[in-house]
Amino acid sequence: MKKKVIIDPVTRVEGHGRVTIHLDEYGKVEDSFFHIVEFRGFERFIQGRPYWEAPVLVQRLCGICPVSHHLAAAKAIDQLVGIDPEELSPAAHKLRKLLHYGQVFQSHALHFFYLASPDLLFGMDAPVDKRHVFAVAIENKELARKGILMRKFGQEIIKAIAGKKIHGIAAVPGGMHKSFEPAERDYFLNGKDIPPVSTMIEWAEETLAFVKTYYKNNKALLDAFAAYPSGHLGMVDASGMLELYHGKLRAIDGSGKVTLPNVSTDDYQAYFMEGVERWSYMKFPYLKALGREKGWNRVGPLARLNVCKGISTPRAEAERQEYIALSGQAINNSTMYTHWARLIELLHCAEVMDELLHDDELLSDDLVREGVKRNEGIGIIEAPRGTLTHHYQVDDKGMITRCNLIVSTTHNNEAMNRAVKWVANNIISQKGTITDGMLNQVEVAIRAYDPCLSCATQALGQMPLKLEVYNHKEECIHERIRN
Amino acid sequence: MNALETNDKTLLVGIGNYGRSDDGLGWEFIDTFCSHDDLFDVEYRYQLQVEDAELISRYNRVIFVDASHSTYEEGFHFYPCTPKVIHSYTSHQLSPESVLWLVHDLFGKNPEGYVMAISGHTWKFKQGLSHQAQENFHKAATHFLAYINNLTPAPSAMAAVL
Repeated sequence: MKKKVIIDPVTRVEGHGRVTIHLDEYGKVEDSFFHIVEFRGFERFIQGRPYWEAPVLVQRLCGICPVSHHLAAAKAIDQLVGIDPEELSPAAHKLRKLLHYGQVFQSHALHFFYLASPDLLFGMDAPVDKRHVFAVAIENKELARKGILMRKFGQEIIKAIAGKKIHGIAAVPGGMHKSFEPAERDYFLNGKDIPPVSTMIEWAEETLAFVKTYYKNNKALLDAFAAYPSGHLGMVDASGMLELYHGKLRAIDGSGKVTLPNVSTDDYQAYFMEGVERWSYMKFPYLKALGREKGWNRVGPLARLNVCKGISTPRAEAERQEYIALSGQAINNSTMYTHWARLIELLHCAEVMDELLHDDELLSDDLVREGVKRNEGIGIIEAPRGTLTHHYQVDDKGMITRCNLIVSTTHNNEAMNRAVKWVANNIISQKGTITDGMLNQVEVAIRAYDPCLSCATQALGQMPLKLEVYNHKEECIHERIRN
Repeated sequence: MNALETNDKTLLVGIGNYGRSDDGLGWEFIDTFCSHDDLFDVEYRYQLQVEDAELISRYNRVIFVDASHSTYEEGFHFYPCTPKVIHSYTSHQLSPESVLWLVHDLFGKNPEGYVMAISGHTWKFKQGLSHQAQENFHKAATHFLAYINNLTPAPSAMAAVL
């Protein structure tokens, strides 16, 4: 009898989605899908609003990475007032960069400690009562405590600059609305109220040490699990080094061949298209030159480490070198290495925050620049989950006439579908009984991408994610729903 | 790890969302009582998260205020909250009991915990409380004012007095 498996919701991801797996009468997987079936709204309802509202409105897409949306929109709005990224004042640039690296730091900490660590600590097929941050708290208190304090550090950076941890306001057209006060800066350096930035570096390295041991002990599994060749897309600076705030877009294929050679973010439309499928509201971006089948890319930590030549901060660069040496892969196509790559970026963020917090430019009042207004602005940033594009057009009164958002998770849409297919074919297909542990491995594969489904669909309200198994008569014979 | 001083004030945590009608009860309550800054530090939350455990560990008493789907005879229910793990499918939305459990488990603290649950009636995308929720709010606030007047100092403050 044919079967169809449903997982709903996929847990420990940001937002909600649904997975269906179709089995034939012998239990062999025929097909699988990662559906995002929520309404897409922000691009439309921002039309008709004044341009300066965009950075405030669009950050409401998400409660986890609002800063990324705020800053991507701010970069686009800067262009609408005639200011390109290179023309921001040094103080505004550094404050935005600190805000951004604080955001990436807290988001990466949240993902690793709250969402991913149960899979690594207790195994991919651990019982459901183990697959939770509370189990981590019970069995590895120090890890959980440090995770909380690292996330808090990033959130406090955001609060100091934007006024609130979530949905604050920092950027204004052409710059920033306030600088750092000395006391605000000292808060992150002196260790009186919260562990200082130097401790964040230390803890990031300790976490990396933990993960390296895990990878050494489980290398064969992690090399193979949800491994498949793909394109990789990310931002690099003028020297080809990892860059998260502003740089050039670079892509390579699964073997390292360059498919997008360090192009200006302003030119993204010349290189990218978005495909659609009838079973998902989330689009499928791809490189025009390679087409829908071959032009899709992973984005995020794994892709960024694949496309960059190196990392500008010494400790993170040393970790990157070790990551390449231990994995034995210069270009890594193994999904589970995303966790390791994410922690290397966590360390990089801590090092960059340390540099910036010791820079007196943060205290400068030279915050806003003005130029000649334009009718089009493009802002691209490397958000925690990958390349994030905001594109606005305005009329002569400054009212938004068109908005296009290509969100990180959207780039990873094809990659996540491939990951689901890999698990379906390699873990579930023709195994007879389908266990809860098997189904969790579908979630493990998706979770590695840290997808933010609310961002990707710009949805309102809750979005449960299901896993469903259907037989050949299209009867649902397994269903997993958590709400 | 930092050894941080414990705050003698009570932490008042309002949970909710003004944009969802009666879900704004928790924040409305905090707005009303935040002027008592000699007694309270206040925090606004859409939902409780794991890291709130660290903040609460710095206090000897915490009171969570939230709108409730339950219909209480008096319009509200003010009750002690004890540490307990209550599983939710997301780590971004924890119960007060679960957060207190984390405070105890990870930070070794046992603050007094209370919940002020106020009955709400409508949860639509709309600003402003329903008429019934406003009535319940006034009953809860009146009760809480009496509570404040009889509020004993938090444990460490009492120790200082003694």
